[in-house]
Amino acid sequence: MARDLLLQMKGVQKRFGGAIALRGTDLSIRAGEIHALLGENGAGKSTMLKILAGVHVNDGGTIELGSKPFITGSPQASIEQGIAVIYQEPSLFLDLTLAENVFIGRQPMKGIAIDWAQAQTEAARLFAELGVPLDPKRLARGLSIADQQVVEIAKALSMNANIILMDEPTAALSASEVERLMTVMKSLKAANKAVIFVSHRLDEVFAISDYITVMRDGATVSENAVSVTDLQKVIKEMVGRELTELFPKTENKIGEIALEVKDLTNPAYFRNISFSVRRGEIVALAGLVGSGRSEVARAIFGIDKYTAGTVKVNGKELAKGSPVAAMAEKIALVPEDRRQQGLFMIAGVDRNISMESFDRIKGKLFINFKKERALTEIWRDKLSIKYAAPTNPVESLSGGNQQKTVLAKWLATDPDILIVDEPTRGIDVGTKAEVHKLINAAAGEGKAVLMISSELPEVLGMADRIIVMREGHKVAELSRKEATQEKVIAAATTGSKGA
Amino acid sequence: MNFLSRLKPSGREGSLGIILIVTIGITGLINPRFLTGDGTRDLFTSTAVVALLAIGMAPIIIMRHIDLSVASTVGLTAWFIADLCAKHPDFTWVQCFIIGPLIGMVVGIINGLLVAGLRLPSLVVTLGTLYIVRGAVYVISNSVDYNAQEMPPSLLRLGQKVYFGVMPFTFVLVIFAMLVTAWFMKYRKAGRDCYAIGSNTHAADLVGLKVFRRVFLAYVFSGAMAGLAGVFYIMRFAQVDSTAFYGQELAVVAAAVIGGVTIAGGSGTTIGATIGALLVQTIQGGLAAIGVDAFWKSAINGLLLIVAIYADRTLARKSENALLAQRIKERA
Repeated sequence: MARDLLLQMKGVQKRFGGAIALRGTDLSIRAGEIHALLGENGAGKSTMLKILAGVHVNDGGTIELGSKPFITGSPQASIEQGIAVIYQEPSLFLDLTLAENVFIGRQPMKGIAIDWAQAQTEAARLFAELGVPLDPKRLARGLSIADQQVVEIAKALSMNANIILMDEPTAALSASEVERLMTVMKSLKAANKAVIFVSHRLDEVFAISDYITVMRDGATVSENAVSVTDLQKVIKEMVGRELTELFPKTENKIGEIALEVKDLTNPAYFRNISFSVRRGEIVALAGLVGSGRSEVARAIFGIDKYTAGTVKVNGKELAKGSPVAAMAEKIALVPEDRRQQGLFMIAGVDRNISMESFDRIKGKLFINFKKERALTEIWRDKLSIKYAAPTNPVESLSGGNQQKTVLAKWLATDPDILIVDEPTRGIDVGTKAEVHKLINAAAGEGKAVLMISSELPEVLGMADRIIVMREGHKVAELSRKEATQEKVIAAATTGSKGA
Repeated sequence: MNFLSRLKPSGREGSLGIILIVTIGITGLINPRFLTGDGTRDLFTSTAVVALLAIGMAPIIIMRHIDLSVASTVGLTAWFIADLCAKHPDFTWVQCFIIGPLIGMVVGIINGLLVAGLRLPSLVVTLGTLYIVRGAVYVISNSVDYNAQEMPPSLLRLGQKVYFGVMPFTFVLVIFAMLVTAWFMKYRKAGRDCYAIGSNTHAADLVGLKVFRRVFLAYVFSGAMAGLAGVFYIMRFAQVDSTAFYGQELAVVAAAVIGGVTIAGGSGTTIGATIGALLVQTIQGGLAAIGVDAFWKSAINGLLLIVAIYADRTLARKSENALLAQRIKERA
């Protein structure tokens, strides 16, 4: 293939404070190709895109556009160098018309005034070229995500971009919209543009791309033409690592069914989800971000409503849409986003831990602060939470200690059913192991644990059973014995059960 | 006429205009004096200051910011100019029209640097400058007042000047400012950037719009308009003390919002803001004309504001639902 090399990245590095996001990434892109960028969460794909977009500046390595060095540093500079980025969340101006969105900052002029007629004609032409005849005079507000992407692509074309980056463009699209987007991508390719896209849906990746670059832990693992690689190989490269962290999995006595979910459906997020969790058992809900896992947990706990199905606790049906009822049945939900949903960041550690255990700290008339202090100390010792004073605001704690505080808050309610959503996100390895130990201990006490996690080693290391979700459906249920990284990834990304 | 038709007021300004005309009509039916040349002239004279400020503030609200310091700036400029004129009897209207906006721009520059430069919340910043500027007037004025005899006769004559028996000179300038800014906001890139910034500041950064420059200059412009409004104030009342135009900033915000400048940013025009100012004044004048007690004035203003924002939300929701329905239909 003697196509022009449009972009070459060599040994690109990027640090954020102490955390290394990219440790030496290579990527080469030719004109007229569709290039998929793959990797697990945190592999560094988004950082790569953001460097090319001019949002971040790389700390090391070289980036060349054609034969010229790439000028980093501002979105404007990237645009001028022919790079257009379409973010996962399209960033349109909803109060402006489509024509204006396409030409914002570069409106065609007639004398000293913007030539609106020409902007509209030109936008209409671009939409037609992409095969999606949108009305250039309508406002962007109310446009579907798919159509918003079309507007973004038209914008890229109008800027004469020759490299178009798309960050998970299909994540929020329906099947027919994906098909339409693929047609658009092919037309870009036919126009000799380069398309780089990030996707977790491997079936799509293999259907459309010419090249596949796999990233892992901030470095490029492989770059291959699609013809010389295959799904199995790519999955292996994405996962790569062995289970290095030791998970102190203890064999617990498995008891009665504590939580039973049957045909749970909320058409917007998930359909016909059924599973059960026994006492002493850890069940993991695996799948990609956005596959509906957290929504299932929220529905069980009563934060969101569901339209069909039942949730039973110890054989008794649980009222829907009521966290109060769920808590009365001794269910606890440790949410995914501790800062927004789990903690009162400016309140003290003591106040946070005792938040859901009011009965334990109340005196005759008023709150008994001695009891609150005592309760806090019990959990500080059990979870080895580190803080200077119990009244210190939680926001002054490290991420790991914050996470332990949320766990303490819910463990203090002595739940029978513990639901934890991404319990170790954003905390360091040492604290991770401690959190794992705590979850295991909870199961050891006979609690039923439902754990949502995007980290495969955690899922495989901790769970007695693994339920894999994809696009709102349960696609696999694997026992601890049969589960492998490859099987879980294959199910989560393509829906296939065997691997 | 070609120029006017190119400004093409959208549906919202059109319906506002109709509401204004109907309100004037009703008031005129109840009290025919309202429709006479004198009545119309009074309406324009009394609206000029607020309308000019609303035109200055519209770009700021469109960018999802606010400028609460304008009324204090009017007070500062009015007092300063009166003071200067008292000390320099040779001053004519020309000096006033130059110095006024310059004083206002100083306040605008401070606001702009704090809001755009340090990215501090504009509500708090301009609340702060509201008090600081007014406080400065109190300190500098030292309780000295100025009356007509200390002001340049040429300026006061200009304040009395009326064209065709109905159109005061000040309101001619208002219309001129309105048309120029409306054109600028629709046909210049800088104007369009304002709408983009108010619609989605984050995206504005991503596409490389000059957010700092636009926000900063909008505050300088608003300051200049407030300075000019200070001169208008003298022309209308021919007397100034340190409490001049005290507490009127929210009347300006109200006029803009009633005129369809969305408080959440992203839409609205200076034509709407001007009609909003006229509408508020007409209703006030109308109520006075039918004998409603003046004590009701501020309560009715508040009611009008809530009605306006309710109408705005209802319209927005309706069009959103229509778009959604259209999308579902297209998909089917």
